[in-house]
Amino acid sequence: MRRLIPFLIVAVGLLALAVDVLPEFPRPGADPPAFAETRLGLDLQGGLGGEYQAFTADGSTPAKGDMETIRTIIENRVNASGVAEPVVQTLGSDRIVVELPGATDQQEIRRLIGSTGRLDFVPIPTGTTPPGQDQPIDPTLPALFAGSEIDPGGVSPGFDQQTGQRTVNFKLKSDGAKAFADYSRANVGQYFAIVLDGTVVSAPVIREPILDGNGQISGDFTTAEQRTLVTTLKYGALPLALRELTFKSINATLGAEFLAASILAGLIGIGLVFLFMLLHYRLPGVVACFALVYYAVVVYAVFRFVPVTLTLAGVAGFVLSVGMAVDANILIFERTKEELRAGKTITTAIEAGFNRAWNSILDSNVSSLITAGILYYFGSSTIRGFALVLIIGVLVSMFTAITVSRSILRWVVRRPWARRAGLYGMREEEFTATAPRSRAREAGARV
Amino acid sequence: MFDLIGKRRWFFLFSGLITIPGLIFIILTPFSGGKAGLSFSIDYTGGTIWEVHFRDGTPDPTAVLAVLADQDLKESAVVLTEGPKGEYVRLTMPPIGLIEAQATPTPGPTLSPGASVSASPSVDASGSPSASASPATSPGAAPSASPSPSPTPASAGIELPTTGKPGEVAAALEAAFGPIDDVSQATAVGPVVSRDLINQALLLILAGSAGILAWITVRFHDLRMGVAALVALLHDIIVVVGVFAILGTFFGVQIDALFVTAMLTIIGFSVHDTIVVFDRVRENRFRHAGEPFSAIVNHSLLQTLGRSINTSMTVVLTLTALLLFGGEAIRVFVLALLIGIVSGTYSSIFNASPLLVVWHERDERRRQAQLTAARAVR
Repeated sequence: MRRLIPFLIVAVGLLALAVDVLPEFPRPGADPPAFAETRLGLDLQGGLGGEYQAFTADGSTPAKGDMETIRTIIENRVNASGVAEPVVQTLGSDRIVVELPGATDQQEIRRLIGSTGRLDFVPIPTGTTPPGQDQPIDPTLPALFAGSEIDPGGVSPGFDQQTGQRTVNFKLKSDGAKAFADYSRANVGQYFAIVLDGTVVSAPVIREPILDGNGQISGDFTTAEQRTLVTTLKYGALPLALRELTFKSINATLGAEFLAASILAGLIGIGLVFLFMLLHYRLPGVVACFALVYYAVVVYAVFRFVPVTLTLAGVAGFVLSVGMAVDANILIFERTKEELRAGKTITTAIEAGFNRAWNSILDSNVSSLITAGILYYFGSSTIRGFALVLIIGVLVSMFTAITVSRSILRWVVRRPWARRAGLYGMREEEFTATAPRSRAREAGARV
Repeated sequence: MFDLIGKRRWFFLFSGLITIPGLIFIILTPFSGGKAGLSFSIDYTGGTIWEVHFRDGTPDPTAVLAVLADQDLKESAVVLTEGPKGEYVRLTMPPIGLIEAQATPTPGPTLSPGASVSASPSVDASGSPSASASPATSPGAAPSASPSPSPTPASAGIELPTTGKPGEVAAALEAAFGPIDDVSQATAVGPVVSRDLINQALLLILAGSAGILAWITVRFHDLRMGVAALVALLHDIIVVVGVFAILGTFFGVQIDALFVTAMLTIIGFSVHDTIVVFDRVRENRFRHAGEPFSAIVNHSLLQTLGRSINTSMTVVLTLTALLLFGGEAIRVFVLALLIGIVSGTYSSIFNASPLLVVWHERDERRRQAQLTAARAVR
């Protein structure tokens, strides 16, 4: 096992490096297929975001299925609007979080999300052609009936064997069925439009009177169009009302400034930590710095791989975690010094340093994980981003401090040049391991 | 050997001196009606913040306040700030422009075939600030105050709403001070979130403290160590919240939603030094069995002092860099972390361990008393 660890370290490091720098590193298990990416939060790249609360008329907790439906509908609406990489998530029992990086038009977006959606069946007057799909309809045209007259259970995709066209079946409730029967009987050959929030979703021609409320829309739909039409007819109106809780919009230029400032601050902070470790711990400090670089490479790879959305607080969390990651090394090195002063040789002192410090390192990191876990579990979306960064940081730091620092130190102290007290910031008389030939003696001592 | 434990009264006194003033200001918060104590950002109080740049020069804040007062937004604050295009005006207003929920999901003009044709349920009747309807006909919505033309559209910028109350406010500002040519951020928070956040903050801090108490107690098989660590934690939280209550009172420094994140991070981190000392106490009790407990703790403290300070030092270094160069947006968050971590190191060394000694000695005296009592009976 011990022989395998160096290979493991190199393999993990190279893999992490590949994830960090390759622009198209595939993420296995991603559906749809996706590449590892650095995902920046709204506050770092600009855009629009909001939090919405769904509620029922009687004040009861919304059903999970309804929340999922709302999420899907909003996602469909947002995707249709052409925003790249939107985030639509449910949060808690009744919240929906929407983030639209790069979006600038508040009103358009809020109309998409915040409105419950009005679906209307609008007859097109004789002699006029209906507007095309996604075109606005003349708002003065009266609606025949509203989307609430559709029986959502009766909407389904279908296929017409004779024409080879995809179809969408729908069913109307009694009032709607009656109105449509009257209208369609008198207006065969006319168009009517299915209108969502003033925009035409579909404008079929009435081929025959629909008397019992069971109709079928057929056309040269693609599967996607067919699915959209089904979703719209079924859920064009959200099942629950939404209340906008927060809405934020951040200028992309400002986001870029924030990002630049945090990167600068992070580099300076990490540089100071390096300096401190080198001055205070000498040779082990060099090893700690290397382990820290390794740590940063791996953590960044995990961020890209998961992927974690990095916000301003998240970047601060990462910088903070660098300061914490080096703590394990400090505990180990201090203990090693103690063991050296107690008369142990350098190799045994380092082993003892790692073994004795492990308890404290584990307990400390678990307490950080406890609080970060609580933040992640109960927190709002901003807080969760920070907590996730901290959790990943703590887990990776345990790996790097114990395996990476340890393996390198083990290798280093076997070199003859590494056996000088000055390299460990100690006095010659405190230092017992002097020459490489003591290795045989040590081997004996270890038993 | 230097006797830290023997000076414990001085350390407790010092902790009292740094916590009590803060505690007073914390307690003042609910009673002073916002005049003293913690100052909350719109994350907690609800509100709207716009940061805007005026093309024709930055107006005087009092003049901006007057315009807002005309719009029935008297409870507003206006300060100048920096942004991508230079000097920006930050307006903090009561919450406006959030979309209120429609009464019922799909009201729809319930069907009566003959009537519905004439009643003209225009597509835009739902009341949402819909931009799609042609501007001529939007009867139900707010008088869509078509804002004075702003000829320079912001490139990467975001746009302020043009309809509803926010539209009116934006139009009034542009009428008074010229076009707004850049908006660096616009945020609105409703009162619902705010109520949630305060409850959530308390819940999180309680849960975090309970988690640490349980973990230390289990790992060290000693409730006294768990409680001593917990007391040190509460000390740190009071110090940080107290400092911000004082800063809020005298400098208007506001705490935002991230503040509670800082609290939990402090809870998780400040116990690190306590753990290192307690771990050493546990080890030394086996090695030096028979020595008085206070001597063992004192010895352990001195042995670990260097590393307690060094481990905090690295975190202080990174946080200081963030505080100085990381930008204004996270300054409060980073400052809270920094104060908490310094306080955490102090309380681990000078509160948690001496407290453990006090508790131990009391238990010891009680046991002695019981022993002598038992002998006396015999």
